[in-house]
Amino acid sequence: MQTTRPSDRLAWFVFALVVASTATAQEPRLWLERMNQALTARNYDGVFAHWQDGKVEMLHIVHRNQNGAVTERLASLDGSGREFIRTGNELTCYLPDKRTVIVETQSGEQGPLLAGFPTFDEKSADFYDIRELTRTRLNRRNTRVIAVTPRDEFRYGYRLWIDESTAMPLKTQLCDAHGRIIEQVVFASLTLASRIPDSAFKPEVATDGFQWLRSAPRAAGPEPANASALWSALKLPPGFRMTARSAQIMPGAQDPVAHLVFSDGLASVSVFVETRSEVVPADQQPVAGVANVGSASAFSTVIDGHKVTAVGEVPPATVRFIASSVKRSEAALSAASPGH
Amino acid sequence: MSADVSDLSLVRRVQSGDKGAFDALVLKYQHKVTKLVMRYVRNPAEAEDIAQEAFIKAYRALAQFRGDSAFYTWLYRIAINTAKNAVVSRDRSPVDYDLDTQNSDESYELQGRMKDAETPEGLVLTDEIRTTVNAAMDALPEDLRTAIVLRELEGLSYEEIAASMDCPVGTVRSRIFRAREAIDRRLREVFEGGLGRAEELG
Amino acid sequence: MNEELDSQLSAMFDDELPQAECELLALRLSRDRALQARWGRYAAIGAAVRGGDIRLGGMVAYEVSSALASEPLLADARERPMQPTGLTLARWWRPMAGAALAASVAALSILWLQQNSLPASAPLVARSTAPSAAPVEAPASYVVPRALEARAMRMPATELANYVVAHSQFSTPVSRGSLLSALMASESAAVGAPEQAAGAAGDPDHHADDSP
Repeated sequence: MQTTRPSDRLAWFVFALVVASTATAQEPRLWLERMNQALTARNYDGVFAHWQDGKVEMLHIVHRNQNGAVTERLASLDGSGREFIRTGNELTCYLPDKRTVIVETQSGEQGPLLAGFPTFDEKSADFYDIRELTRTRLNRRNTRVIAVTPRDEFRYGYRLWIDESTAMPLKTQLCDAHGRIIEQVVFASLTLASRIPDSAFKPEVATDGFQWLRSAPRAAGPEPANASALWSALKLPPGFRMTARSAQIMPGAQDPVAHLVFSDGLASVSVFVETRSEVVPADQQPVAGVANVGSASAFSTVIDGHKVTAVGEVPPATVRFIASSVKRSEAALSAASPGH
Repeated sequence: MSADVSDLSLVRRVQSGDKGAFDALVLKYQHKVTKLVMRYVRNPAEAEDIAQEAFIKAYRALAQFRGDSAFYTWLYRIAINTAKNAVVSRDRSPVDYDLDTQNSDESYELQGRMKDAETPEGLVLTDEIRTTVNAAMDALPEDLRTAIVLRELEGLSYEEIAASMDCPVGTVRSRIFRAREAIDRRLREVFEGGLGRAEELG
Repeated sequence: MNEELDSQLSAMFDDELPQAECELLALRLSRDRALQARWGRYAAIGAAVRGGDIRLGGMVAYEVSSALASEPLLADARERPMQPTGLTLARWWRPMAGAALAASVAALSILWLQQNSLPASAPLVARSTAPSAAPVEAPASYVVPRALEARAMRMPATELANYVVAHSQFSTPVSRGSLLSALMASESAAVGAPEQAAGAAGDPDHHADDSP
């Protein structure tokens, strides 16, 4: 109908890569790249089981990439009724059990397709061992089993069953440094569709009477003195470096929060620094604490009177390390500038 | 000889205001029409768009359809005209050889087309479908397989199949039905979950 | 499923059903989604037998039905038949739609879980010598990573969930999927309980001096 669109070229590239791969490519890293590309650039519709902490939940995902514009819907099939729908830069979270809708507008700095997530490079190889364990059949599909093994305890590892012909991850395990499984995702069914209609991305939740909370990226303009530019982490776990920073207003909040992102090429950790500091009576000071959100760890503490929270798909020790080393000073401006 | 009774009863329902009956007609012919359009455009997504357009045109013109020809013959002509118009309007060289042979159902290889096509879309577990159907066909008892092949591939009527297989028409009907059921069961395994149907596991 | 009805459907599909039965079946076909789905599958089987790709054209009926939803009827609907919208057209080949799916999917998940609680028949053997490359065990039990000397974080669950969501755009696609999946569960944040040393994990504070 029209000339090749960028996303089609990308999709063709992924396909061609996969077709060619059967003969030549041995590199497990290439499989990871293909997988990430497939997850971003293809249209698919699947039902998967998500195991965590001894519990399993069934979820439904629909993902469409049209000319680089990504639309996605993730919905729980097990009765929580929650749905997350992403359209372009906006992620809308429907939480019927809390009678709340959260609308998060994500920063537009990240490219729609591939630039948004960590890219594995030579430095990252120092911290992860990536190899192909075996080839096996899963659900009657030929898959490559790729193991990503961390070399220290600051990060997690993966075992991925990647479908040879589509590069989609049919099964994924998140493991700690000792190989113990923290989380598993397995597709029960997966369809790569040529076209997916808009109706597949409409929420099924009725939102009458719900509370709506919206976030907004920080408006362009001179940043206040507390802005993200003045925050950085002076000490980081080996391999981590700052890869992005921004400031945004979280849903339901008034004041902007600085958002720093650190990554080792595979795992990433976000640090949120509340820019508003106020004198809080000592007995009401928030206490440093840790939490798990699924397989992600979160750690919150107070630095210079500002609440600092680190979140990432890393072990608890890592978020604690990074959050605790966040500093605000003039020296921080020159150290650890955003790389990539 | 087909009096086109089946399609006409659906057409009459559509003409009296029942859109669901039109859905049934589209379901029946969507593969055939799209495959037909593929002779004119090579891009599958485009072929599906044109097929869609053809069906919509057919719906709008259905009020004037009198049953002078079989419904599919009428639909076929609309599809061809829609495809030709689409090709011409894209400034490609107009189709100047005669493709209007109604019964030549060419098969094509999806993967072969992939190498040339601009967009490798529609890559649904394709190997799985093909192997599944082939396996299901191979697993059929010979009389069932023969019956469905004569019906779907050769387009013979039940009477013609009965003559060819030397059995009553009722037996032909039953064999075709059971063949469809067997293949359908295997297909649903593929489409409704890579693990297969719950009751067939373990 | 009613076998006699399906047998009639098969015959009607081949235009081998007497007219009177056709008229009745046509009425049912226009309203019964399950019957329509079966009818659609017969067409797909025909396409498969002829050697084509089932998927080609498989979405056309759905698209046409959606497009025609806003078209006027061809006549005044004297009988007021039910008008299925495009959305209700049976998408038989797509693994989604409605409570029936949820039930069957739940059944699937139980069976899958049972299958996986058995020891893996062929444990994967890592070819590396890295100490962490343990053979894959079936996930009968999961570890929940605990921090040492942990205090429970006191933060509203919603606030933490917002942070997780804001972070998710910077994760790899695989991680992002699991992060968001975790937020689907009934409590968006499980507050880690303070506890004793986990033992095997060692003391991560030793790494604190290994700055790059």
